[in-house]
Amino acid sequence: MPVDFTLIVVLVIALALVFDFTNGFHDTANAMATPIATGAMRPRVAVGLAAVLNLVGAFLSTEVAKTVSGGIIREGDGGVQITPEIIFAGLIGAIVWNLITWLRGLPSSSSHALFGGLIGAAIIGIGFQSVDYNVVVAKVILPALIAPLTVGVVAFIATRLAYFITRRDSGRADGRGGFRYAQIFSSSLVALSHGTNDAQKTMGVITLTLIAGGVQSVGSGPQLWVIVVCALAIAIGTYTGGWRIIHTMGRGLTDVKPAQGFAAETSTAATILASSHLGFALSTTQVASGSVIGSGLGRRGATVRWGMAGQIALGWVLTLPAAAIMGAFAAGFALLGPVGIVIDLLLGSLVVALLFRRAQRSRISHDNLHDIDDAGRVVKIRKTPRKISRRDRKKVAL
Amino acid sequence: MIDWAAFVVVAGASLLGTVVVVSLYSLGLRLLTSAGRALVVDPQSFTGAITILTPKRAAKEAKRARKTASANPLTVGQKRLALVGAYTCFVLCIGAVLYGVYLIVPALHR
Repeated sequence: MPVDFTLIVVLVIALALVFDFTNGFHDTANAMATPIATGAMRPRVAVGLAAVLNLVGAFLSTEVAKTVSGGIIREGDGGVQITPEIIFAGLIGAIVWNLITWLRGLPSSSSHALFGGLIGAAIIGIGFQSVDYNVVVAKVILPALIAPLTVGVVAFIATRLAYFITRRDSGRADGRGGFRYAQIFSSSLVALSHGTNDAQKTMGVITLTLIAGGVQSVGSGPQLWVIVVCALAIAIGTYTGGWRIIHTMGRGLTDVKPAQGFAAETSTAATILASSHLGFALSTTQVASGSVIGSGLGRRGATVRWGMAGQIALGWVLTLPAAAIMGAFAAGFALLGPVGIVIDLLLGSLVVALLFRRAQRSRISHDNLHDIDDAGRVVKIRKTPRKISRRDRKKVAL
Repeated sequence: MIDWAAFVVVAGASLLGTVVVVSLYSLGLRLLTSAGRALVVDPQSFTGAITILTPKRAAKEAKRARKTASANPLTVGQKRLALVGAYTCFVLCIGAVLYGVYLIVPALHR
């Protein structure tokens, strides 16, 4: 490892790790909200397991990291010269937008915030030609549109299947409580898949920085120490974020049945793992939300609250451009040189400090369970008519 | 430039993987219930979690499970067969998951 790490490179790596931490912090709920809600796992165990599996997942596949470091920005000899300052500005934009949405309880995606920030910063810092829009469309925007839909359909089918296979005459035990045990495994798989997709994004950014800083050759994958550090950051973030969930668990959660939760988690994990393998940088939050909606629709008497679904979709669409604007602003300052970087840092920490003060005040109303909880409320479940089932129960008794 | 085939692969793989895993596990549960061993999850074993099942509800569930078991029309041999089938399903389900993970880790087959 060469030693000519300049201050700015170190700064960007530190910032990227902060982003990685907030990512894990934000997304614990995706994997662990349903098993905790259905009583499948003790919260302590669930959170610890999620952290460990995120760590493991980060080592499994680095395809997504290569998409981020080698695709979106045209770096290298033939392309444009991306500087660590630009990446720095992009990260500031992403972190600020992430914290704003998190605090406001808006559905958003850490991944899209990251890409938005980077794209905005690159456009202002270098110019429109610096971004490879083909890669952005093919590996970020299209997967973002398609993945929640496919996972929703898959989760719908899976839920129907699970209920169909375990159906019993009314009044008899159907053994569906046993899906609680299955959820221990399916939610673990979601945590693992989270590591294979989300930890990779930070690895990609750090690798991009190292390439931009001239420390690493163009087109190479992430180095081992980068993988280790990113895996640790996301695992610690996951663990810390989990404690918040436990503390805010008193509130009612979306009504998720064990069979439904199992179907939703299995489809989430399968989709993310398959996408990670092909290098698609998905938003894990959006996939998890899509599967919760799809599996909810698979239950009897389910209807969609379209207004709520529209709100969530709007939040998703907004993230990329909004983070791009934040990143662009930060890049505008960063172009001023070292003074600009300091201004960026000060502004960034000011926003973060303000947000955290607000968060202290309104701790109960906004927390990181919102995204999935909102997704769950998109589906309205009609209660099964009691009368009929009672009459049937009598028949069975006779 | 846009690799549509890759999207089809992702959608197909996730559908296939999910359907296989969910079907196997559900079938396992169904067979377990047929064998007279319906799983009733006792909230006591999940202390600390939100109790969705109240103790009263759990007792009711346990009673239902016993009733189902006593009213089971299957013979002893059939029950045993169902139990073997159930465990086979669970093992196959775990195997399918492990195979899926194996497929996506390049370090394991290169």
